[in-house]
Amino acid sequence: PPRPTPVSSTAIVQGLNLLQRARSITMAGKRKLSERPGGGSSDVQWCFSQVKGAMDDDVAEADIISTVEFNHTGELLATGDKGGRVVIFQQEPECKNQPQCRGEYNVYSTFQSHEPEFDYLKSLEIEEKINKIRWLPQKNAAQFLLSTNDKTIKLWKISERDKRPEGYNLKEEDGRYRDPNTVTTLRVPVLRPMDLMVEASPRRVFANAHTYHINSISVNSDHETYLSADDLRINLWHLEITDRSFNIVDIKPANMEELTEVITAAEFHPDQCNTFVYSSSKGTIRLCDMRASALCDQHTKMFEEPEDPNNRSFFSEIISSISDVKFSHSGRYMMTRDYLSVKIWDLNMETRPVETYQVHEYLRSKLCSLYENDCIFDKFECCWNGNDSVVMTGSYNNFFRMFDRDYRQDVTFEASRENSKPRSVLKPRKISTGGKRKKDEISVDSLDFNKKILHTAWHPLDNIIAVATTNNLYIFQDKLN
Amino acid sequence: MECAFDAQNLISISLRKIQSSRTQRGGIKLHKNLLVTYVLRNARQCYMSKNALQTQRTPPYEDAATVRGRQEYLELTGSFTEFADDFYCNFAGVQSDTWHCGAHQSMAQHMELGHQDASACAMVSPSDSDLMVSEACWSCADKSSWELPISNTQVNQKTVLDLDTHVVTTVTNGYFHSDCCAQPKQPQAAAPCYTRKRKMDTSYYIVDPEFYLPDFVPLSCKRMRSEDDDDDLESDSEQLDSANISNLISVLGSGGLSEFVSWQQMDLEQIFGSQTICSKHTLLAGSGWTRAIEAF
Repeated sequence: PPRPTPVSSTAIVQGLNLLQRARSITMAGKRKLSERPGGGSSDVQWCFSQVKGAMDDDVAEADIISTVEFNHTGELLATGDKGGRVVIFQQEPECKNQPQCRGEYNVYSTFQSHEPEFDYLKSLEIEEKINKIRWLPQKNAAQFLLSTNDKTIKLWKISERDKRPEGYNLKEEDGRYRDPNTVTTLRVPVLRPMDLMVEASPRRVFANAHTYHINSISVNSDHETYLSADDLRINLWHLEITDRSFNIVDIKPANMEELTEVITAAEFHPDQCNTFVYSSSKGTIRLCDMRASALCDQHTKMFEEPEDPNNRSFFSEIISSISDVKFSHSGRYMMTRDYLSVKIWDLNMETRPVETYQVHEYLRSKLCSLYENDCIFDKFECCWNGNDSVVMTGSYNNFFRMFDRDYRQDVTFEASRENSKPRSVLKPRKISTGGKRKKDEISVDSLDFNKKILHTAWHPLDNIIAVATTNNLYIFQDKLN
Repeated sequence: MECAFDAQNLISISLRKIQSSRTQRGGIKLHKNLLVTYVLRNARQCYMSKNALQTQRTPPYEDAATVRGRQEYLELTGSFTEFADDFYCNFAGVQSDTWHCGAHQSMAQHMELGHQDASACAMVSPSDSDLMVSEACWSCADKSSWELPISNTQVNQKTVLDLDTHVVTTVTNGYFHSDCCAQPKQPQAAAPCYTRKRKMDTSYYIVDPEFYLPDFVPLSCKRMRSEDDDDDLESDSEQLDSANISNLISVLGSGGLSEFVSWQQMDLEQIFGSQTICSKHTLLAGSGWTRAIEAF
């Protein structure tokens, strides 16, 4: 008899997505237009929910958020910052008296994941900044996540403790040891409830495998292995084994002077445990199959769109560099982010993307100044919503953009303290590119390039989004009736 | 013209970025520096194509001084071409035909206008530090080296750290460019010489971190650098810019590139009039700086 396949939480999430989609299709006829799911169309209203972080304008560098990630159920939301800290928020259970009200996210656990290190041999300081956090699917009561800085990946266990033993024989209640001679009777310690305590402990440290800076980690759908990618190499790890990893991609040339491109992001396929993709600074994405060979330098597929010769400039190479790649939940598509656009690729078509969305095309004429102030090197991330119908990415001036793939609509919102009255509806923003600026429009020249949204995350099952400005985390959700 | 000015601007900005990345926390960002070299290459391409266009447009009536000035200008152009050519050959890895078209063009121009000799030597300021003077004299005495500063492509340097003894050794396969400057120039026939990829290690930031060194810089070089810094404080703003660029070029270590960039910083009057074109900006391309480059 065939071996039963374990039901992975990915499958559960996908099943839920299908259910949600099916439900929305059947209900579409009965529901008003304004209740159409997706989130990108102007009919859906996004509301401010919460903002986390300091209110000061003076931003401490350590507080700069460097990564945001929901776990597989969306109950937990993790952020990493430049100071090497991880903060995990937990969604409160829905209030029983208000069934339509979603729970708030409150701090669940805070811990120092990485510390600054100094490599004495290379005379190099290793930054403690958390580059990526990835959650493991939950297998038991505890939660596990991987966090990485430039050189070292750590597996953290986050567990709850709500009982403690009382009544030791050899210890007093305050912890002092009793003189054994004074013990005349024996008792069995009992577990008594206590205030909930959340503990984070490092269970594995995966170190010394990367010469260059780690930019991505991705957990495999087999839940046993994961990959880590730096500028030139991708390594495959087993979650239980820390003293070795397999190198599966190596694009380092024999002569470093011949270097023409680096790896910028990598991700495992959501279902196929043998498949992963990696993007490059040249704007290409390579899909690799680990069954083909041990070293996946030869790609199975290469996705590349030919450059438009009319758009050639000094900065063509920079703006075509891909900063993020994400598979859709379905596994059929993948999305890439380069400096000015978001592209959706069908895995079955390598020649060009199936959809291209311009994030901030008005910046094309400003590339020279953006190069001078280093903004052109900003690495924006992108994300899918739960049913792959909407994609989201960040921009400048604390703007973020959503693109509804089904209805071909896009919208721009701003994450700011001014719009942060509870449950206030976000107003779409418009940037004026022409000469005449309409009322409420913002001119390109008045955009604040220091306020950038690089990291965004979408709840896997619901219309809740987490948007990180420099040092604040905004949570928005769609309005429920 | 606009393109040329923008290109010049971009080149200085790019080099500043590379310099500042050296001191950034967390080590050199390979990705960012690679992208910056692409901008450098594009800017250079644009600049050279504009230059070639300009040199073709010879005005009909000129006095002797202007003609001589242009000669010097073009001679510098010629040498700059070789530097930049080799430099960019290295970074891109692939030899672009368009570059070499540009290179050949200015080389052809160069040939027509004749050799430079004493003029180059005269540009060396005698007031430099010993190290610089020796270097400048070297490149001055061997005048064809000025024309072919990195003429031969067979220099292959690798700096190695012995992990047991922690001794740093610079291993050179082939020979320094100083050995091969005597190569006579030929018009188009010399072109293949320049198209060969130069092996000299100017990959100042794409040096393999696996051969990384501790911040090992010979004392003499450090002193020289601090002298530059002192001078920076005293000089006026205009010179300060040049000096800053020269400092960062010194870090890069390519003697050729330094002249290229320092020349970028000066306008034509300065080039014609100044006797200090390679004063602070000529650098030791020897082993000390190579090690510094490797550490970079």
